[in-house]
Amino acid sequence: MSYTLDRKMPPAPADVSGPKPLDGGWGWMVVFGAHISIGFAYSTPKALSIFFKEIQEDLGASYSEIAWISSIMLAVMYAGGPVSSMLVSRFGSRPVVMMGGLMCGVSMVTASFGSSIVYLYLCIGIIGGWGLCFNLNASLTIISKYFLAKRPLANGLAMAGSPVFLCFLAPVNQFLLGHYGWRGSLLILGGMMLNCCVAGALMRPVAQPCDLRACAPPQEVKQTNNTKSSGSCMKNVKTFVDLSFFKDQGFIIYLVGNVMFIFGAYAPIVFLSAYAISLGVEEYSAAYLLSIMGFVDMFVRPGTGLIANSKWIRPRIQYLFSFAMVFNGTFHLLCPLMTTYTLLVAYAVFFGVGFGMVFALIFECLMDLMGSQRFPSAVGLVTIIECFPMLLGPPAAGFLVDVFGDYKYLFFMCGGVITTGGLFLFVMNVYNYNRLDRASRGDDAEQNQNTTENQEQVTPAGCTVGSAAQDDQ
Amino acid sequence: MQQPHRRRDRLTQRTEERTTMTAAWRQLPVLILLILAPCRTVSSKSVDPTTQPLVSIASQPTDTRSVVLQESVDQTTQTLVSIAPQPTDTRSFVLKGDTTFKNVELLNPVNLSLECVWTGSQNKQPSITGYWRKDGAEVQDSRVTVNLKEQQYNLTKVFSIASEENLGNYTCVFGNEFEMYFILGAPQMGEIRDKPIVSYVGDIVVLICKMDEKKPKPNTWTWYKFNGTDREEISAATDPHRYLTINDGWKTKLKVKNVSEADSGLYHCGAVYNISTSMTHVELKVITIMEPLKPFISILIEVIILVAAILIYERSRSKKKEAEANGPNAEPKNAQPQTEDNGGEKSSSVRQRKA
Repeated sequence: MSYTLDRKMPPAPADVSGPKPLDGGWGWMVVFGAHISIGFAYSTPKALSIFFKEIQEDLGASYSEIAWISSIMLAVMYAGGPVSSMLVSRFGSRPVVMMGGLMCGVSMVTASFGSSIVYLYLCIGIIGGWGLCFNLNASLTIISKYFLAKRPLANGLAMAGSPVFLCFLAPVNQFLLGHYGWRGSLLILGGMMLNCCVAGALMRPVAQPCDLRACAPPQEVKQTNNTKSSGSCMKNVKTFVDLSFFKDQGFIIYLVGNVMFIFGAYAPIVFLSAYAISLGVEEYSAAYLLSIMGFVDMFVRPGTGLIANSKWIRPRIQYLFSFAMVFNGTFHLLCPLMTTYTLLVAYAVFFGVGFGMVFALIFECLMDLMGSQRFPSAVGLVTIIECFPMLLGPPAAGFLVDVFGDYKYLFFMCGGVITTGGLFLFVMNVYNYNRLDRASRGDDAEQNQNTTENQEQVTPAGCTVGSAAQDDQ
Repeated sequence: MQQPHRRRDRLTQRTEERTTMTAAWRQLPVLILLILAPCRTVSSKSVDPTTQPLVSIASQPTDTRSVVLQESVDQTTQTLVSIAPQPTDTRSFVLKGDTTFKNVELLNPVNLSLECVWTGSQNKQPSITGYWRKDGAEVQDSRVTVNLKEQQYNLTKVFSIASEENLGNYTCVFGNEFEMYFILGAPQMGEIRDKPIVSYVGDIVVLICKMDEKKPKPNTWTWYKFNGTDREEISAATDPHRYLTINDGWKTKLKVKNVSEADSGLYHCGAVYNISTSMTHVELKVITIMEPLKPFISILIEVIILVAAILIYERSRSKKKEAEANGPNAEPKNAQPQTEDNGGEKSSSVRQRKA
């Protein structure tokens, strides 16, 4: 843990007092399992759109009715965060991911027998969405439990599952569609999603301090500490959504920056091909742009994890995150200048780089802020709040396109929002870190003595030193 | 079958028009002049005895169009729309050499004047022999001697496109050196779906054919299914319980209820125009639920095996470790292994827990 002394923000209580994270060994199998799990979670809603045209013709529905399937799935996946966090804290990651995989499989299999749109909304949208939600949340949590020193790398590798699976599922879905039609394809896709159960089996549980019957005294102390966080065994039903997180300044800053990013992140993806076609690029080449972006994304995520792991960047990981956001936003702002196909390819490459960097760090930064003990509930809260910008972003962008008849305003809006978010994160983090630094310097002498004592107090703040400082303030 | 009916209609039409062909007779001198003008310089050197391309205008509808491959026009497809037979609406376009073919889409029977213009090869002979070919076979009485005029060779002929048999590939040949061709036909459907539509036994399937909305609207649509070499028309009339056709201008849908495996195969849809029907096909494949079930079951088995293997491996390792540690055990059922590298150091404090 010597590297942590260089950090401006010391780790949260659990990292110091809990069992030392493995940082290797079976942990890499867990990362592999998380890779599969997260991969299915992010790529399934997008990959399903390949079936939409056929389903539309067969069930006689309009395109917007069909598109709701993906939206409902994504919305439930994000909105179910708090429930998933609760289950993970109670039961651990393994049962939750296996349950999630089972639910996904069941959802697709039942959907393949569907004959109405509402039935598909229920099966794919709601049941499938819940399954993916369990997958996502639990996978992120177990990474935070298994890794500390190499956590950014582990996160980068696990999050890389999203573009990898998208690249893999898209042609597989096309192939299945041609041979089995949409019904058979959904059936087989359901079978493939059962592999999340395998991923869950890999997620061997780590020392869990949360066991009522067998809690030894030192853990009981932790439990009183946990009473206010939604991971508490005793109060898991009552504290469904833990509002005490909102008192943590670091959390609020992260949340605001994230909301701004998510609002502007997905619209360019949705409209990139349409924009390219409007510039005269032919349809096949326009679709190719998104593949380029996904391909670049695949390599950037682990790469960013590796960079973030280095000892120069790791203490300043929040700054890297804000840099990645500003990078992403700047290229969106520059996109309207890209009028030829070559320039659009360049834009797609840089978009992929920026997007991958942000997503590799997005949960790592939250783990960094919250620590592995509070991360499960924090991530649930973050995902349910992110649900709104994610659902509102593309339609708002589409509205801009309809009103102005020009795609450039879409890119200006998205780029502007993301860049502002990045700058906001940067500035506020500098301010916040400076404040905590000043406080920590004042308390340095007491720090070692107070580590265990702080655990007894209820500390909503993000770090031991900081909490001590804030108590004084 | 609709086509034989149409041919019969055209014959009756011709006989009627023979009596009222004032407009046609007015055109006749113009046309003859057009045709005869290049032929004036026909020399006796030409091999074929017949030199005059004759157009039997009298028996044709009054509509005349002239199409020439034109360089400046981007599209190689020309669609001629005629609502009713129009007199003397002759258009001419000029093509110079680069485009070697043109698609001409016709809706109605029409007299078509096709003109090819070629700038010649390096050694420009003063006159060469030109003739027309339809679908590979030389058109009778079409050989003429073409003279080099203003540095180009012009070969023109008026063809009477009365029915489907007149449609096809019309090639103008300049000596043995250069060829250009026109493809005459009804408007073709662009997007042909190469992948089959897959459906399941007992399901309802919808087959769709679409004509490009920029092209003229078909009069109606027909659906056929081939039984070997025979063509069998499908419509709501033939089997109302199973087939339902919904024709909607540029789009047609064939709804087949309660499909069975015998319904697999090619379904041909035809967009019916006055001149002819343009056809395209959609493939239907009907499979039973067993087909996708086989890969599904194999994946299910793979998942079960992997999960069992992982859990059994874990359990066997934890039992081994407990045997080695030789200490008090937690509930054997719930015993989960520690993180490997920790050994037994912290195990005492954290051993008892639930998975």
